[in-house]
Amino acid sequence: MRITNKMITTKYIRSLNTLSSDLDKLNTQIASGRAFSKASENTSAAVKAFQIRRDLSKTEGYQANIAHAQSSLTNSESALMHIEELMQEAKVKILVGNTVTSSVDERKIVATELRSIQNQLFQTLNSQASDVYYFGGSNTDNQPFTLDTNGKLAYNGESLWQLDPVVDELTIKGLKEDSMYVDIGLGLRMNGTDVDRSSVFQYSIPGINIVGSGSTTLADGTEVSNNLYDLLGQIAASLESGTYTYDMVDQLSAKLSESSKEVIYKLTEVGSKTSYLDFMTDRFDTRTLDLQENQVNVEGADPARTIIKFKSQEVAYSAALQMGTKIIQPSIFDFMS
Amino acid sequence: MRPTFLAFQTASRALSASQALIDVTGNNIANVNTNGYTRQRVDLASISNSGYTQKYTVPGATVGLGVNVTGIGQIRDPFLDARYRAQASESAQYDTLLKGLSDLEGVFDEVETQGLQAEISNFINQLQTLSQTPSSKDIALVARTAAQKVTQILNVYSKQTEQVREQQIYDLSKIVVDTDFNTLVKNIAELNTQIRNELTHGNEPNELYDQRNILVDKLSGIVNIKVTTTPEKISEDLTIENLTISIYDTKGGSSIGIVSNGLYNTLDASLDSDNKMTIEINSSFGGYNGDITTKFSGGSIKGYLDLINGEGTYAAPGENAFRGTLYYGHAIDTFAANFAKVLNDLNVDPADGTTVLPLFTDESGGTTSITAGNIRISAAWMNESTHIVTTTVNPPAGGGDNVLRMISALGSDMSFRRDPADPASPVMFEGTVNEYMTGLIGELALDVELNQNFSNTASTVLNNLYASRESMSGVALDEEGINLMAYQKSYNAAARYFTVLDEAVDKIINGMGLVGR
Repeated sequence: MRITNKMITTKYIRSLNTLSSDLDKLNTQIASGRAFSKASENTSAAVKAFQIRRDLSKTEGYQANIAHAQSSLTNSESALMHIEELMQEAKVKILVGNTVTSSVDERKIVATELRSIQNQLFQTLNSQASDVYYFGGSNTDNQPFTLDTNGKLAYNGESLWQLDPVVDELTIKGLKEDSMYVDIGLGLRMNGTDVDRSSVFQYSIPGINIVGSGSTTLADGTEVSNNLYDLLGQIAASLESGTYTYDMVDQLSAKLSESSKEVIYKLTEVGSKTSYLDFMTDRFDTRTLDLQENQVNVEGADPARTIIKFKSQEVAYSAALQMGTKIIQPSIFDFMS
Repeated sequence: MRPTFLAFQTASRALSASQALIDVTGNNIANVNTNGYTRQRVDLASISNSGYTQKYTVPGATVGLGVNVTGIGQIRDPFLDARYRAQASESAQYDTLLKGLSDLEGVFDEVETQGLQAEISNFINQLQTLSQTPSSKDIALVARTAAQKVTQILNVYSKQTEQVREQQIYDLSKIVVDTDFNTLVKNIAELNTQIRNELTHGNEPNELYDQRNILVDKLSGIVNIKVTTTPEKISEDLTIENLTISIYDTKGGSSIGIVSNGLYNTLDASLDSDNKMTIEINSSFGGYNGDITTKFSGGSIKGYLDLINGEGTYAAPGENAFRGTLYYGHAIDTFAANFAKVLNDLNVDPADGTTVLPLFTDESGGTTSITAGNIRISAAWMNESTHIVTTTVNPPAGGGDNVLRMISALGSDMSFRRDPADPASPVMFEGTVNEYMTGLIGELALDVELNQNFSNTASTVLNNLYASRESMSGVALDEEGINLMAYQKSYNAAARYFTVLDEAVDKIINGMGLVGR
């Protein structure tokens, strides 16, 4: 094959171009720390990178939800502890007031104290954090606990003492299950058009589960509410009443102890929910770290390797430049006399 | 008998032959860097004095009469030219595609930027936040802003895709067709006329050939051409060759003449009523007239046509199915329409559970013809951030069930239909909204990668053909230098021969008949 001068220069310019564009590519990699700056440079890595970013963003969302649930649970917990303390206090008061020897005045004082506890209970049940009632189930905007026309406790508009476990089964079920929930990455699913509750995290305690509902008929035919608020009121009324009997208050007191057990159960439930959230937080922290590591592996340029590549490319480039000055210069004309 | 001065002519011709050789060598050296120059060669022939006129002479040994310069020719291989031009048109096609697709990639690529995918992820996270306190107006406002960013990015993508397309349309119609192609065919036809004139006068217009070859090479980068030459007999001893160029489609077998000797046909590129690019030919000869859009199979015009008209999977049978700007435009329109529909359908009035309260509309407030270019937040949502229905419980309490429904819908697989309102229309993609965009970007990146590879391969082959052609036709200085030295020697020898003849005649005239003097 004849090798002409133009062939040599054209090829030489072309290979210099290739060398310097490779050099530029490596330089960009080092400067940006990225293995590729366009998807077409490494399509499979880019698609993987998009997936990782998506997962990272999802994890971020779940973690925000967990933090929200956690703070809400912390609020609920302290309110529940307060209710529990109130119940203990009430029981002590009742023990003091309900003795065979207690005088009318003494009972009256205890009754007043019980009404004050009753009042505090009412307020605690209507606790709010950042304008949200957290014992109201999904009713977060309006005060969940109110008093009905009889002065008895009502939850989300339903008088609790009137709810019959048989007749009002669906209403009670609805109220008990109606809570606030968030998606914390348990695989959010729809059950038909409804949110599948097992795929979300329910973080609020519906107040009805704390205070109890319905009423019980005592042996003597007296009907008593099952809920803590009404019970406290009834005990206070009995203590004050002219027809006070020790037995009556004793029975009511037993009923109160029974109902207040729910508070403890709920406290335990809150505790286990909180520790579950702690576990999930840890899990997502680990996952975030894993994802970030993956991201660096997929998108990042290994600095050591890139710099070594850059250096060897630089050597090739300057070698080509040196060679060029040798190859283009001489021809037979340089040696003709 | 030999005439006395016969050999003087021989010597004179030898001198002028050497002179011609040196001159052509000089011309070659001078043009070592001239683009498109074909190395020239002196055609020499030896002269004999045999023939009819000597029929009755006394037989005896005859001596040749030296050398004759018959012409100055070019060293060129038409087969290499044909291969080079076929390859040039393939290479130009891929280069054009690569450039256009890279522009599109610049629009859609989200590797280094916060693009649509990031905004959708952000929107989902804002919905998560909204699900924490669904009745909070300010958080609903943040969620709406996130949704607005999604619509704005879609608007930008749509606009930029359209801009890329407009750029391609401008390049094709104004630059490639109007300026490059139409000027080239005209110039080639003019050169054909000039060359024909020179040839009929018996001249060898080497420089005009070179000029024409450069233009034909350029033309081969624009369209898939076939160059043919047909001999024409001018007189008994003069036959010249005429050049014809046609757009030749190897697959369809059609051949549309664009240059024939001094005649040429121009092209005209314009958008038709369907917003598709159409190329028409204005024929001054040949049978074709009108639309020849489908006849291009190579060259940058084919590349541009694919980019401008290519609708990918949206193409009807027989239409251009390359994934060009129209395809990517349609693809984000489908995305926008389906994205809007899935969220709109979930945003129903809790009062009756059926009335859709649209979150996204087109610019006129409708929901049936939403595209990426016109999608926006509905006026109702713009007025009131709580227009987004957070719960389907009636009367609405503070629950966030509907927000979770939206999150779930955005996170689960759905069928992206070409027309989301019509359940019978074809499914373009099955997956989540984010997967749709990842898929689209991946598809585009693969197309860029593929065309990059095609382009690299094509240009490597082209470079090899260029080298082969250069090897045949280019000027090698070493060779010319050696020739120069050799021709100098032959010139000297011829001059010496002259001197010998001169001395011999001198001997006869001045030395003969002077015996004893």
